[in-house]
Amino acid sequence: MRKIRIGIVCPYGWDTPGGVQTHIRDLAEHLIDEGHFVSVLTPISDDSTEHQNYVVNAGKPISIPINGSVARVLFGPIASSRAKQWIASGDFDLLHLHEPAIPSLSLLACSAAEGPLVGTFHVSTPKKKAIYAIGPILEPIVEKLSARIAVSELARSTLKDHFETDAVVIPNGIDGQKYANAKIIDAYSKNHTIGFIGRFEESRKGLQVLIDSLAIVARFVPDVEYLVAGPGDSKEFMKNLNPQLRSRVKFLGLLSNAEKESFLKSIQIYVAPNTGSESFGIILTEALSAGTAVVASDIPAFKAVLENGEAGELFKNGDSADLAKVLVALLRDDDKRKRLSENGRLSAQKYDWQVVAEQIENVYEMAIAGGQRVTLASENRFWSRR
Amino acid sequence: MNYQALLALLFVVLVGWYLSFSASRLDRLHHRVETSWATLDALLQQRAALAHEIVAESNLDPATAYLISSSATAARNANIVERSAAESVLSESLKLVQGAAIDHSLELPSDLLVELSDTTAKVKIAINIHLEAVNATRNVRAKPLIRLFRLAGKAPIPVRYAFEDDIL
Repeated sequence: MRKIRIGIVCPYGWDTPGGVQTHIRDLAEHLIDEGHFVSVLTPISDDSTEHQNYVVNAGKPISIPINGSVARVLFGPIASSRAKQWIASGDFDLLHLHEPAIPSLSLLACSAAEGPLVGTFHVSTPKKKAIYAIGPILEPIVEKLSARIAVSELARSTLKDHFETDAVVIPNGIDGQKYANAKIIDAYSKNHTIGFIGRFEESRKGLQVLIDSLAIVARFVPDVEYLVAGPGDSKEFMKNLNPQLRSRVKFLGLLSNAEKESFLKSIQIYVAPNTGSESFGIILTEALSAGTAVVASDIPAFKAVLENGEAGELFKNGDSADLAKVLVALLRDDDKRKRLSENGRLSAQKYDWQVVAEQIENVYEMAIAGGQRVTLASENRFWSRR
Repeated sequence: MNYQALLALLFVVLVGWYLSFSASRLDRLHHRVETSWATLDALLQQRAALAHEIVAESNLDPATAYLISSSATAARNANIVERSAAESVLSESLKLVQGAAIDHSLELPSDLLVELSDTTAKVKIAINIHLEAVNATRNVRAKPLIRLFRLAGKAPIPVRYAFEDDIL
């Protein structure tokens, strides 16, 4: 593919941790390595810190609740004019807009631009009443995307429900090598360790389900240890726990990237007890490529990643007794656990950036094949309406 | 000017804005249908040429070789009505080649195999891009105000090809 100028728009605050931001950072760096020119337009909360040289600041994001968690997004007249300026001066061959159907910078950029536009849809949500009200406004904007990417089959069917358009499914990429070659930390690999990573205060992350399973698991496997990583206050969870079991649960706080890689590699089993509203589950693919056995709730997104139990064990969503049963069986049977982690490692190869970036580049190539370039939409060019 | 006249004026301005907005929207969509079809058409031609090359360069058995070259020729010569069916047959027969090459029962130069899987992946995306452009265009053209004012002009209504679902 020839080298092109790509503009990527990130809807969420660049300096708040999140799956979409990580995905965009990795994608941008991968594309730059391939020799393309990349510029990322994104909101930034703290503009005093230094960021990568391909990042362009669009202003301070505000917090609004979307889809069960709080998202830091940006819109309004100032953001809109910054987006227009970025498009007009960027001389782009193609724009890649992430999550263009929520009120955000991506939506602004999509309505201001014309030419080869690619959109990636990350979330999956059930059809809400609100969509009937905002549908007619969003429709002409979403329709401008020449190619649509959905990160999972679920995100694709959400798109079909909401806008009656189809998308190409390309999963989120991960750097598989990093996890496979991570250093093993003895403190995490001794005994029978079970790991969890996430902002555990959010109830949809399901930590309570995992903690509730401890009473049963500890009866059969006395030396089991639950390791919980992520930011948050652990008091709530400890307070309700039997005092004799408290020493079996350790809260590790927020891990750095390198620590997270070692953590996933070292533990015996990774558990994802999420109770819903997940679209993909990138953390599962990371644990899988580290070669760690994975147990997850049977919500549709996880079922898809774990290939219906082939690549990792599933338990009944929200049922801590069922989770305990699965964990005990796996902890007691080393062979089964090894087999499971080997299957998982193989199935995670399709999420590697090498594979994923090539698929995304194919989409770019098809989108720019008409020979057009990105310009401001004719509605915004008062001086020349084509 | 009285209140009612003002309202009527506002209404006329709104309708005028909507029509101008829809006209440029429709123009953009028609343009996209054309370019996406040109891209898809070029890719499909390229795929048919590749199919002939595969037949020439590999040790395919006569029956499969015949199937592939005849379906490639059919896809190249097909008219508008037969096109999607012919391309689907070619997709199916090329899938046989890919399967055979992967389990090593077929000797095929590896650059051809790479080109084949590359082209197949791109065809899928190009089909998706084109179908979406067609659907969006037909959707907008069906709106009542747009039909009333004949905003589509003399542009032909885009044809919706039915490509096999599983090649998507």
